[in-house]
Amino acid sequence: MTTMTTEKPRFTIKEPKFLSDRIRWLRDYYFQGVNRKWNNEYSAWTTGTPWDFQYNELSFYIVPETYFYIPTFRSSFKQVAKPVKLHPDFWSWSLPERRAWFVRETMVHYVPKEILPGDLLAGARFNIMTSHCLTEAQTKEYDRLVKGKNGARAAMLWFHNHGYGNTGATSGHLVPGYDRVITQGWKGIHANLQQRYDALSPAERKGKKGAQLRAMLTSSTMPRDLAQEYRVILEEMAKNEPDATRKAELAQMADNLTRVPWEPAQTFWEAVQSLWLTHMLVMSDENYPGPGVSFGRIDQYLNPLWEKSLAEGMDREFGKEILKCFWVHCNTAYDGMIQTGGNQGITAGYGQLLTIGGMGQGGTDLTNDLTYAILEVVDEMSPILEPKPNVRLHRGTPDRLLDKVVDMISSSQGAPFLLNFDERSLAGMMLESRKTGIEKLINKDNVFNYAPVGCLENTMAGNDRSGTVDDNLNLLKAVELALTGGYDLNPVTDALTGHVEKIHRDGEDTGDPSKFTSWEQFWQAYAAQTRCIVKRSVETYEKSEAVRAKFFQTPYLSCLVKGCAESGKDINEGGAEIGFVTVEGVTYATTVDSLLAIKYLVFDKKICTMQELVQALLDNWVGHEKLQAIALHKAPKYGRDDDEADTMAKQVMELWTGETWKYKTISTGRQFRPGMLSWNYWIAYSDILPASPDGRAKGKFLSNALCPSNGADTNGPTANANSVGKALGGKAADGQGDWEEYFNLLPNGGSHTITFNPSLLRDPEHKQKFKAYLRGYIENGGSALQINMINADMLRDAQKHPEEYRHLLVRVTGYNAYFTAIGKELQDEIIARESHNM
Amino acid sequence: MMTQTKTTTGTILHLQRLSTEDGPGIRTTVFFKGCPLRCQWCHNPESISPKKQVQWIGNRCIGCDSCIEACDQNALTHTRNGIQRDRTLCTVCGKCVEACPSGAMEMLGREITVDELAAELLKDRAYYQKSDGGVTLSGGEPTLQPNFCGDLIDALKQEGVHVALDTCGLCTPETFNSLAEKADLILFDVKLIKGEEHQKWTGVDNKRILHNLESARDLVTQAGGRKQMWIRTPLIPGATVTEENLKAIGFHLRMALGSSVERWELCAFNNLCRDKYTRLDMDWNFSDTGLMTTAALEQARSWATSGGFDPQRTFITGAARAENEFEK
Repeated sequence: MTTMTTEKPRFTIKEPKFLSDRIRWLRDYYFQGVNRKWNNEYSAWTTGTPWDFQYNELSFYIVPETYFYIPTFRSSFKQVAKPVKLHPDFWSWSLPERRAWFVRETMVHYVPKEILPGDLLAGARFNIMTSHCLTEAQTKEYDRLVKGKNGARAAMLWFHNHGYGNTGATSGHLVPGYDRVITQGWKGIHANLQQRYDALSPAERKGKKGAQLRAMLTSSTMPRDLAQEYRVILEEMAKNEPDATRKAELAQMADNLTRVPWEPAQTFWEAVQSLWLTHMLVMSDENYPGPGVSFGRIDQYLNPLWEKSLAEGMDREFGKEILKCFWVHCNTAYDGMIQTGGNQGITAGYGQLLTIGGMGQGGTDLTNDLTYAILEVVDEMSPILEPKPNVRLHRGTPDRLLDKVVDMISSSQGAPFLLNFDERSLAGMMLESRKTGIEKLINKDNVFNYAPVGCLENTMAGNDRSGTVDDNLNLLKAVELALTGGYDLNPVTDALTGHVEKIHRDGEDTGDPSKFTSWEQFWQAYAAQTRCIVKRSVETYEKSEAVRAKFFQTPYLSCLVKGCAESGKDINEGGAEIGFVTVEGVTYATTVDSLLAIKYLVFDKKICTMQELVQALLDNWVGHEKLQAIALHKAPKYGRDDDEADTMAKQVMELWTGETWKYKTISTGRQFRPGMLSWNYWIAYSDILPASPDGRAKGKFLSNALCPSNGADTNGPTANANSVGKALGGKAADGQGDWEEYFNLLPNGGSHTITFNPSLLRDPEHKQKFKAYLRGYIENGGSALQINMINADMLRDAQKHPEEYRHLLVRVTGYNAYFTAIGKELQDEIIARESHNM
Repeated sequence: MMTQTKTTTGTILHLQRLSTEDGPGIRTTVFFKGCPLRCQWCHNPESISPKKQVQWIGNRCIGCDSCIEACDQNALTHTRNGIQRDRTLCTVCGKCVEACPSGAMEMLGREITVDELAAELLKDRAYYQKSDGGVTLSGGEPTLQPNFCGDLIDALKQEGVHVALDTCGLCTPETFNSLAEKADLILFDVKLIKGEEHQKWTGVDNKRILHNLESARDLVTQAGGRKQMWIRTPLIPGATVTEENLKAIGFHLRMALGSSVERWELCAFNNLCRDKYTRLDMDWNFSDTGLMTTAALEQARSWATSGGFDPQRTFITGAARAENEFEK
């Protein structure tokens, strides 16, 4: 246990508005990536048994890019794992108790502890791969359930290879009850657990419930014990520190750790320290860095201590300095595989999301000074990936906040945060409450405490895990199956062996579509296939959910999720009070546009027969270019505020979301709910799914989440937003929606990205107009919005691939033109201008 | 809900939603087809003729020749430079547009009823309300279709939508007064102040325009704050951008119009429309004119304000040429 020996920079007094030497050094150091002496790379730890293993492949089933490497990862971590000396009684304990003890022992006594130069927060390394702590018999059963012929892995690979999507019980993606740690300390959580344990009958103590609570009791002392290890180091460092300012900082950090995270935090510094240690240990417990482990409404639960410390004389800039250290720590999650993956992690995204702004009881706005301080930190630290900020907007959002948001968008060439829209989001949360009869847990008096996790997935905070990335379903698969009466269009070829699978009827027998005489018949076939693919996805998911529930407990995380202590169940056994599994619909617009194209080409305009269309898809449109062009450019499309097309969009939405509500997991009793987050699957599956009736060739990108297909939103950002709002259910004509007049068929929310022209933000008058656009989006749009700005690279790409940018509107001299419809010379001039603007 | 149906039909080019350059707030701009002026610099040549026209957009063409097969008049040929149209033979029947699978053949102009158009325009009502924006009728020249234009303004006003009338001012006083009376904002183009210059560059004398401008002033004054007027002057190098012209317009605005003008916009020349002329087989005298430099725009502004019109209410819209930063 040594401290860092990197050369120490000298610190000067920080300058307001800009990064201090301290933060600049920490930030620069972080971005040195693999060249750093210190990093937070995984270390692996074993019980020492020959059957032991660390890698939890279930958490990676949703990452198709890793499928080839699953066996390699498992054996690599096993090979490098160092033994932990086990407690003599270790093997007499239950599995959760073994996990709890093993993780605590590893973090407190084995993983090295360092303080980075200038850092104001303790808690550096947390990426660990710990033993699954299984007995030999358990390992055999686990392997049968995972690797066996009908195991989770084979089911998941089949699902993926046949283009349905991917599913797997994944870690993270929730807001732990961090607010409780700040206000009660781990001491309070521990006392609560002890009380519950003491109240158990002797029989219960001997059973599963007793074992789980004992495991959680063990876990709840981990942050306390780890804090004391760091405190000792800090006291030593303070003693040897020649610089008086730094000496005082180190002494204060040590002093903070005498209290937090065990005791309630008394100052802002203590609160952030408490939050960080608590948070990083969730990632240790789950053996996974930062997968959507989100902070929730941080400007609300940290604000009392922010205000208190400011009142007691804390310099506001110093408060921000503490937050900036927190920012750097969050980014070290990416070090997990830094040596094997190079700096790759630094450019990827994990999703430790924090939420600021938004409404409270009765629609009052809860923006406070900490909201602005956090935005300043985002502004001053950007570009940096973690934590991901999410700003909640609603009808009552003050102009000042919106001004700041728009200023930051205009100066960042795109938003350095996601925008979440309360009214639409709340309607979705109320829907899931109503659908499943949990009005006690989600109702109009608490629903505004929701927060997004990961990317944009809405959940409640501190008592909710809704499996928001666990079941990713390509909706387009149902169109393919309806076109063939239940068969894959193309046979699956094994990527390694080249073996071509025989095509079976895996879908429903919906009959030969070339015999259909009406659109309604095709729609019925499509609906039957949608029922089929949703069912298949939840059945496939069940396999990994059942394995996780039985063999992978996270008792530390369970301490932070309400419901687990009360039920004596681990969060991975469905212990959370609110526990949905979200089916994320992927390829939505491609699906809608394909249905619109089939209706247009075959039934309405009779431009081709069903057979000709299917043949064109089999030929990947080669030799059918004219038909393809009609499908692409003449058939209606979702995203243009065209009521006819958007009605189809809503029908598709109602159909597939309705199916998800029919299922619960068998092993853990979690209800499925719908959402739309596409992560990168709209690219990943573009080569697996065949050509689609909307004119898309195999290999061309699918549509992203709730967004219209690439290039389809020819009527601009207002029409685009209106279509998205309508697809989600729109507003109630009588004003009686699920939240005020709003509906939202996707409780999880849906990802929506719009690209704007920078000239829209060129001066204060235009910024006001952009602000008004956002206020209009609150009324008409979706639940979440990512804003991009056109840049020169995009324009150059548009020159090369005009077919994908037909909608790209450029505004020069207050004049609009479709970029791809103007000559190259002028295009070059516009590119030069955009480059110049940067 | 419309209280009475309006089936008056007009010909428009297209709608520009999220328009931020044609009046206050977020607007949808309706481009009317047809214009009585022939400004040599016209940025929207497709809006000049009141009749429908067909254009071919080369980079959308997949070369299938469906258009040629569809043409009854043999007006189309496939040449090295793409599809060529003999406009003396073309009857603008639209068969080639119908046959084109990729949208390369485009019909300029479509007929639409007031009800259909109003329904389309109301789709962005939320954005108008949040931005104090609305609908701008532009073109082309909206007053050239007075009944359609008037009924459309009525329909929109009935729904509480703010309407701006963007006009060149050339129409009968009766037409002008009835439409300007209905509109909330008049965007009045004043291009050249001297009659002979106006005649030379736009093909018509400006007497009637200046007369209507005075009527606009009176209407704004009578409305007592419920109606505004913005003056718009296109900055066209070699034509409108002279010290004499800009100073004289400024002087006229100050002397003849006074406080009825809320804002004077100097709209920088742009050359983005060059390809539009090519697609319509039209020549353009300004095809070699580049965007103005920042210095030239500032010069124009100082000429404009030297006429005595309030500099606080004088704005340059549009952007200057991208100048190489190393060229200092």
